[in-house]
Amino acid sequence: MDRMLPFGLPGPTAFYVSLYVATLAVHVVFMNYVLAGVGYLAVASFRGKRKGADGGPVELSDVLRDWMPFATSAAITAGVAPLLFVQILYRKEFYTANLLLFHRWMAILPLLIVGFYLLYLLKTPWIGGQSAVVRGVVALGALACFSFTGLSWTENHLLSTDRASWPGLYERGSMVYYHPQLLPRLGMWAVGAIPTMCALAAWQMYYLQRKGAGVDPRQPRNLARLAIAGVLLSVACGAAYWRQLDASAQGHIVGKAAGPYFAAACFGLVLQVGSWLAHAPRSDFRRQALMVCTLGLALTIAGMTAVREAIRLSVIDVSPLYAQHADAARKGGLVVFVVFFLVNAGLIGWCLCLTRKRSESATVE
Amino acid sequence: MQDISYPINDFGPVIKGMVIGGLGIFHVFLAQFAIGGGMLMCYFQWLAQKGRSAPARRFLDGYFKVLVLVSFVAGALTGVGMWFTTIQISPRTIGVMVEEFHWIWATEWTFFCLEIAAGYAFYRCGKGLTDGARMTLLMLYTVAAWFSLFWINGILSWQLTPGGWTHDRSVWSGFFNPSFWPSLLFRTIVSLTIASLAACVVINAIGAFTREERAELIRRAANCLAPMVLMPLLGVWYLAVIPEDSRSWVQGGSAAMTMFMGISVAASVLIGGYALVGLIWQRLYVSGATATLLLSLAFGATAGGEFVREGVRKPFTVREYLYSNAVKADELAALRRSGGVTADPFPLRNAGAYPTEQLRLGAKVFRFQCSVCHTMSGVNGLTHLAGTWTTEQKRMNIAKLQHTKPFMPPFAGNAEELEALVQLLEWQTAGRPGRWDQSTDRAVIREVQEWLDEAGTAPGTEPHTVGGASPASPDTRQPGKQEGR
Ligand code: HEC
Ligand code: HEM
Repeated sequence: MDRMLPFGLPGPTAFYVSLYVATLAVHVVFMNYVLAGVGYLAVASFRGKRKGADGGPVELSDVLRDWMPFATSAAITAGVAPLLFVQILYRKEFYTANLLLFHRWMAILPLLIVGFYLLYLLKTPWIGGQSAVVRGVVALGALACFSFTGLSWTENHLLSTDRASWPGLYERGSMVYYHPQLLPRLGMWAVGAIPTMCALAAWQMYYLQRKGAGVDPRQPRNLARLAIAGVLLSVACGAAYWRQLDASAQGHIVGKAAGPYFAAACFGLVLQVGSWLAHAPRSDFRRQALMVCTLGLALTIAGMTAVREAIRLSVIDVSPLYAQHADAARKGGLVVFVVFFLVNAGLIGWCLCLTRKRSESATVE
Repeated sequence: MQDISYPINDFGPVIKGMVIGGLGIFHVFLAQFAIGGGMLMCYFQWLAQKGRSAPARRFLDGYFKVLVLVSFVAGALTGVGMWFTTIQISPRTIGVMVEEFHWIWATEWTFFCLEIAAGYAFYRCGKGLTDGARMTLLMLYTVAAWFSLFWINGILSWQLTPGGWTHDRSVWSGFFNPSFWPSLLFRTIVSLTIASLAACVVINAIGAFTREERAELIRRAANCLAPMVLMPLLGVWYLAVIPEDSRSWVQGGSAAMTMFMGISVAASVLIGGYALVGLIWQRLYVSGATATLLLSLAFGATAGGEFVREGVRKPFTVREYLYSNAVKADELAALRRSGGVTADPFPLRNAGAYPTEQLRLGAKVFRFQCSVCHTMSGVNGLTHLAGTWTTEQKRMNIAKLQHTKPFMPPFAGNAEELEALVQLLEWQTAGRPGRWDQSTDRAVIREVQEWLDEAGTAPGTEPHTVGGASPASPDTRQPGKQEGR
């Protein structure tokens, strides 16, 4: 790859790589919200007291608790699209890693179900009457389920690119794969999730603020601290990860293939930090600063998702797969997909509009 | 053929069809509940709006909670689970499905997104919305849910009846295949049935209704069972379009398939009979216990149906194209020459347990060709099935595997591999002794090769038609088998 991704690749491969990266980036947004949000809830549940129904000012944990089940649904739903494309791009690699991890891999599904119900449990009135320990344990349980899922995806990803280890792992039947990149990479995902969660939650509070719900005035400062800490920690994990990469992968990241994406991602971090610094001394959320922050976040996530792909492409030789991608690109149905994509996106927008059609007599849940 | 070798996992005493069938039952049941639930709620919303049923609205909000909690979470994740499980059982099958139909799948995904969006919008805000907005959201939810069935049904029915796709390889010929419509309509009715039985359970479980209100709601919910009268018709239509051999499995050709089919039909008849006579005609009341029993019967019917669906495809996962053991029909001839496991990079997990190299080869052949449907000595275990056969009978019947039982694929390897497999079976049957002689007689290999050639590489046919499509005649097959029994 001596040109910027995806231009160095043949047409069909470039097409699927682009779709894959774009859809994965959406998955990452929701997944970050879930991962960091549940982590925050776990810590917060052990600490604070749960407020009564009348409330008091809205805090981060209220927003998170309220939206976490939906965000999880969204993360899972958004995961399906890249799951489709990864099977077209790297069929053999992906399937083999799945098969080698076997029960370990399949375990993410029951655990996600458990994690999901624990999130609903966190919203019930019942849990409000429980002690901080009980609430903390429930949130911690959910965190464990989602962390395990994240670990498994990272493990599966690294294994899929490490062909040489396949026969040995199979022979041992071990279902656990370790690679020196595993922990720093996972760490990057985990702490990198924090700024995403902060930005999304800030928007939610901004709208609550506009609707006149009393948002706790310390929230902008707290979120700013949290987000900046997340950025700094991700940079640290990123550095540790960089040291584990071999020279060719490093070359791709700063070279022609992914250099522009990497630069965009770094610039995105700067924008985010800047906008959080602007928020830190304030007692309310500002639209403009949040827009800058979101732009930065978009650059960082899109950039890093592309960099992630460039690293994979530097490790596995995709040229034998070109023919397979070209075959896939000849299959029919693309037009139907595009049409329904647009129609259904419009209908989803309509659903959102419909939720404004409140009847006179009713109350919102 | 580059992607033929995948690591193959061992599920212990269980065969893989049971794994996918087992998860499939839950998933299909939940997904159909979600679809039928949408329809049922549109009906109740309409009743409420028109003032025809006072408690309809209260019921609706309660029912929707159950639907969201059960089907959004468990339904969606078991869906991903089906995908992952299919990868575990047969990566090549899902690989072909994804390659052929990825835009169909992507289209289905857009409907799934709409379903989630409309569902959550109703869940969060539904109580406070105008009737018009409620109805629209419910309709969007229902249409989206039903369309996800529409799309996935095309792919799943294609596996058994690929229709015109076999010749033109066009996505749409495959999608609108011969069993597309009967199976779509059948599943739609099943969805309504499950949803209205679940409604009867929920109506009884919500404490807030008076006896009269309950009776009223149950009468309404039971109306949604009426389409069940069409099920026999659709069932016959479905059976009429599936391949003849598959049809014969469920009509006595295979004991297991016939049994599962029987369970499914019997459970459906019980539900249908009770619904039509008791609920709709005589307007009986259903208690929570009876409703739960009926719902369990529906689960039983789904279970039987899913096992049949998995089972009747044998020996294919994609009819005429891909065998259950992940060998493509057009690769078979080449594998007969090169050997099926020659290029397999994955070692045995317990190589030390076999005393000779030949037995190790046999174990690899078993893993590659047979383990998807057989265990060695558990469910459908080879040592039970072939335990009484002589060595010669084993050689011949395995060489002519597709004629021994037409729901098995042709043997996909060379004569040496076949002999190694036969030796493995002998060794296993002998109780896995520590010493075992290698079978190296060239005459044996020549004889096996002759049988392989006689059997050919075309799929098997009904025993009574053997000879037409393939060189093996019933006479060469039967004596060996009868002596064995
Ligand atoms: C597509 C699934 C499938 C595959 C693959 C398969 N079989 Fe079978 N086989 C079956 C079924 C189903 C039966 C019937 C079991 C019964 O009658 O209870 C069967 C029966 C048998 C029998 C007993 C036949 C008889 O006449 O009683 C033997 C022996 C056998 N299989 C050997 C093999 C061997 C060896 C392989 C691998 C080379 C193999 N099978 C691959 C599904 C399969
Ligand atoms: C809410 C729980 C989930 C979490 C926390 C999570 C987390 C992650 C993480 C950390 C990665 C990156 C792995 C890496 O590059 O090292 C990832 C990738 C991915 N996830 Fe998720 N995930 C979740 C659920 C899902 C689900 C349910 C699906 C499928 C429907 C999915 C589909 C994907 C796909 C396709 C990738 C790319 C894999 C690859 O390219 O190797 N995720 N996920």
